[in-house]
Amino acid sequence: MASPLLSVRDLTTVIRTEGIEFEVVRGVSFDMYPNEILGLVGESGCGKTMTALSVMGLIPSPAARIAGGEVRFGDRDLVSLPEREMREVRGDDISMIFQDPLTSLDPMFSIGHLLTEVIRRHRSVSRPEAEAMALQALAEVELPDPETRMSQYPHQLSGGMRQRVMIAMALMLDPDILIADEPTTALDVTVQAQILDRLLGQQRRRGMSMLLITHDLGVVAAVADRVAVMYSGEIVEQAPVGQLFSDPQHPYTQGLLRAVPQTRHQRGALHTIPGRVPPPQFVPPGCPFSPRCSQALVRCWEEHPELVPDDGRHLRCFNPRPLTPA
Amino acid sequence: MRYLASRTVYMLVILAISSVAVFYAIRLSGGDATAARLPASATEADRETLREVLGLNDPIYQQYFTYMGRLLSGDLGNSLTNNALISKMVVEHGRNSIILGAAAFLLVFLVGVPLGMLASVRRNTLADQGIMSLSVAGMAVPNFWLALLSIWLFASVLRWLPSAGCCEPRQLILPAIVLAAEGTALTVRMTRSAMLENLDSDWVRTLRAGGLSESRVIGKHVFRNALIPIISLAGLRIGQIVGYALIVEVIFGWPGLGQVLVNAVLRRDYPVAQFFSLVLVVMVVLGNWLADLGYLAANPRLRKT
Amino acid sequence: MTAPTPESYLADWDRRLLDFEESQHISVFRRGMRNLVRNRLLLSGVILGVLVVGAGVLGPVIVGGDYELINFSNIHAVPFSEDALLGTDHLGRDTATRLFVAIRVSLAVAVGVTGLALVAGLAIGTVAGFRGGWTDRSLSGVMDFIWGFPLILVAVLFAGGLGEGLLSVILAVGLVNMAAIARVVRGEVLSLSEREFIEAARAGGLSNWRIIRKHLLPNILAPALVLASYYVAVAIIAEAALSFIGLGAQPPLPSLGQMVAEGRNFLQLNHWETTVPGLTLVVMVLSVSLIGDGLRDVFDPRLRHEAKGLES
Repeated sequence: MASPLLSVRDLTTVIRTEGIEFEVVRGVSFDMYPNEILGLVGESGCGKTMTALSVMGLIPSPAARIAGGEVRFGDRDLVSLPEREMREVRGDDISMIFQDPLTSLDPMFSIGHLLTEVIRRHRSVSRPEAEAMALQALAEVELPDPETRMSQYPHQLSGGMRQRVMIAMALMLDPDILIADEPTTALDVTVQAQILDRLLGQQRRRGMSMLLITHDLGVVAAVADRVAVMYSGEIVEQAPVGQLFSDPQHPYTQGLLRAVPQTRHQRGALHTIPGRVPPPQFVPPGCPFSPRCSQALVRCWEEHPELVPDDGRHLRCFNPRPLTPA
Repeated sequence: MRYLASRTVYMLVILAISSVAVFYAIRLSGGDATAARLPASATEADRETLREVLGLNDPIYQQYFTYMGRLLSGDLGNSLTNNALISKMVVEHGRNSIILGAAAFLLVFLVGVPLGMLASVRRNTLADQGIMSLSVAGMAVPNFWLALLSIWLFASVLRWLPSAGCCEPRQLILPAIVLAAEGTALTVRMTRSAMLENLDSDWVRTLRAGGLSESRVIGKHVFRNALIPIISLAGLRIGQIVGYALIVEVIFGWPGLGQVLVNAVLRRDYPVAQFFSLVLVVMVVLGNWLADLGYLAANPRLRKT
Repeated sequence: MTAPTPESYLADWDRRLLDFEESQHISVFRRGMRNLVRNRLLLSGVILGVLVVGAGVLGPVIVGGDYELINFSNIHAVPFSEDALLGTDHLGRDTATRLFVAIRVSLAVAVGVTGLALVAGLAIGTVAGFRGGWTDRSLSGVMDFIWGFPLILVAVLFAGGLGEGLLSVILAVGLVNMAAIARVVRGEVLSLSEREFIEAARAGGLSNWRIIRKHLLPNILAPALVLASYYVAVAIIAEAALSFIGLGAQPPLPSLGQMVAEGRNFLQLNHWETTVPGLTLVVMVLSVSLIGDGLRDVFDPRLRHEAKGLES
C-alpha cells in the first residue's frame, strides 16, 4: 500500500472537570490513505468525535487538551503545530463536516458570504473569483438554484440543503482529507441517502481520503473501505470492511453487528449488549469491555490488551472467538 | 416588512393609549383647575364660568379630543407659574434633554459593549472580574448618590469640572456619565453573556474548521450575533435614560424636559406637567419603536421571510 | 481467599461502579451545598441584609426617640457625639432615629410592594401563560404596555396626577414590577407547558388548578423569587431617587433619599448628614443585588439568560 496521508499515533486526549482529568481518547492509532474511506464506528460517548476534533485541533480549550501522541500529516505533526500554521491546514488541507446542519452555519451571514470568507482566508483571490468558486462548489453538491442560495441566509434553507452547503464549504478548497462526523444523522431518512451519495461521489472524483464517523453500521458496510471500531476511547478492532463484517473478532464488534436488526432473516428479539459504556472517569483497569463481555477471562480483568496487528486486521482482545450465528 | 408594519401599528396604538392615560391621569386628579387661575376670593359663579370657558364641563372624552386638537394645531397654552409659552419651553428644554440623552446613550453602548466583549474574551481572568465587579457596583449605586459623589469629588475637591449648569461640553460630562452609569453596567453584563452564549454555538466550530482566525470568529461573527439581543434591549435603555433624566437633570441643574416636568409637578403647573409628561412618554414609545427598527435591520431572520 | 474468576471480578466491578455512580450523585448535592456556602456573593448579601433589616426593625425599639423632634440646641452633630449615635441634622433631629424609620419606609415600599407585585405577577403570568388565547393576548398586552415605561417616569406621572407622596411611588413600583414579573412568569409557564410532565398531567386529566399548584408553581417560584429580588433593588433606588427630588416621601416622614437631599446643603459643615443615609442606601441595594445574584447562581443557572432582560 502507498504511504499514508495522515498517521495518527497513540493519540490521547483528556478532559478536565472540577480538577479531575480523565482520558476520553486513549492511545488511538490509525492511518488514512488517499482515495479511501475509513469508517469510525462505536456507541455515542465512545470518543469518536473527540478523536476527530483532536486531529483538527478543535478540541474545546481549556477544558480539554491533547495529552500525548502525534498526528502526522506529510512531514508535520499537527499536534505540535503552532495554531497559526494549523489554521492554514484547517479548511484547506483537512476539512470537517459536522453533525447538525441546522446549527452549524452562522445565522447572521449569507451562504455566499460564509463560503467566500473561508475561500479568501486560504486563497488570494478577488471577491468575484471567490464567489465563482463558491458557486461552483454549491453546484457540485447539487444544491438546487445555487445562484439564489448564495444570497440567502441559513434559516431560509432546509436541513438537507444546509448540509449540502456544509459539504460544499468543506470540499471547495479541494482538501486532501475530509472528516465527516455523523453527516446524515440529523437529517430525514430520504435526504440521508442523497447526502451520502453526494459525499461519496465527490470523494471518488477527487480521490480524497475520508474519515466517516457514524454509529450506523449499514452506512459503513455500504461505503467504507476500512473500519475502525471504538469503545471507551480506544480502537478495539480495525479491519478492511469485508473482513470486519464477515468475520468480526472482537466481542464488542460482534455485539454491534448482532444488534443490527436483520429484517430479512428473522424476526424476534433484537440483540443488545448488556450493560452500559463505562463513564470515562471510571474505566475498568483491564480491558474496558470486560464488564460487558460474555467471553471475559481473568486476564481480561487484570491486564489491558494491546492493539495487535494480524493479517491486515488490528485487534485488541485476549480471547477472540469466531462469531457464532445468533 | 410585516414585522415593521406590525411594530409600527403597535407603536401607534401604544401612543394613543398612553396619551389618553396621561391626559386622564393629570386632568382627572389635577385638582380644581380654577384655583391656580383665579384668586381665592373668586365666587363659585366665577369659577363655574371659567370652567365653562376652559371646557372643563364637557364630557371627559370630548376634553381629550379638544386637548389633542389644540396640541396638533400647536396651541400648547402657557405655564401657570411664569406664563411662558409651553411651545417655546418644549423646544428649548427639549434640545438640552436630547443633547444629554444622546451623550448618555452613546456612552452606554460605546463603553458598555467593548467592556462586555473584553470581559467575555478574557473570561475568568482578573480583567473579567474587575469589569464585572465594576458593573455590579454600577447597578448598586443609585445614580443620584453617584451624582452627589461625583459633584463632591470632581467639582468640590478636585475642581476639575463644574458642579452644575448648562450647556457647555464641560458641564455635560458629569451628568452624561451619571445618567449612563446603570445602563452601561447592564449593557456590559448583557454583552458578556451574549458573547459567551454565542461562543458555545456549533457554527463557531464550523468557522474554526474553515481555518478562520480566533479574532475573526469572535470579532466578526460572534460579535455580530451578540449584537442582536443588545439592540433588542436598546429601547429599554432609551426608556431608562428618559426616566433617570428626571433625577439627573434636577441634581445637575440641567434645564431639560425632566427638570421642568418635576418642577411643574411640584408647583402644580398642570398644563406644563401634562404636556411634558406626554412628550416624555412619546419619547419612550418612539425609543422602543426605533429599537425595534434596529432589531429588524440587524436580524436577517426578520428581514426576509 | 479463593482465586479470582471473571464472575467475581464482574460482581466486584458492578458494586464499585454503583458506588462510583452514587458518589457522583451525592457530589452533585454536595456541590450545591458547597456552592451555597462558598457563594460569597450570597453570604455577604445575606449578612448585609440582616444588618439593614435588623437596624430597621430593631433600631427604633432600641434607640427609641421621636424622629420629628426638633432640637435647635444640637444641630449638625457628628456621629458618636453625646446623645446622638449618628449625629443630628440641620434641625437637630437625631439621624439614627430618622435613619431607622427611613429604612422601614424604604423596605416597606420596595420589599412590601414588590412582594405584592410578585403575588399579582405570578397570578397574571400563570393565567396568561396557561390559558393562552385571548386571555393571554389581552393580559400580555397590558403587561407589555406597562413594562415599556421606566419606573421613574411612571412614578412622576402618578405624582402629577395624585400629587407628590409615597402613594405615587407605591403605585408605580407595584404596577411596573408586577408587569415585569408577570412577563417572565408567563414565559416560564409557556416553556414549562411544553414539557412532558405538564403534558402528562394534562393527559392524565388533572384539573387546571391542580396542575398549576402541583406542577407549575413549584417550578416557577425559584426564578420568580430571584427576579423579584432584582426588582426590589430597582424599587429601593426609585423610591430614594423620587424622595430625593421631593416627589416621594413627604416631610416629616423621613426617607433615605430625602435625608440625602437635605444633608446635601450642609456637605461642608457635616457631610455625615448625607453620607450616613447614602451609604445605608448603597448597602441595602448591594445586599439585595448580591442575594439575587447568589440565589441565581446556586439554584438556577438557566436564569442567567433571563437576567439579561432584567430592566427597571
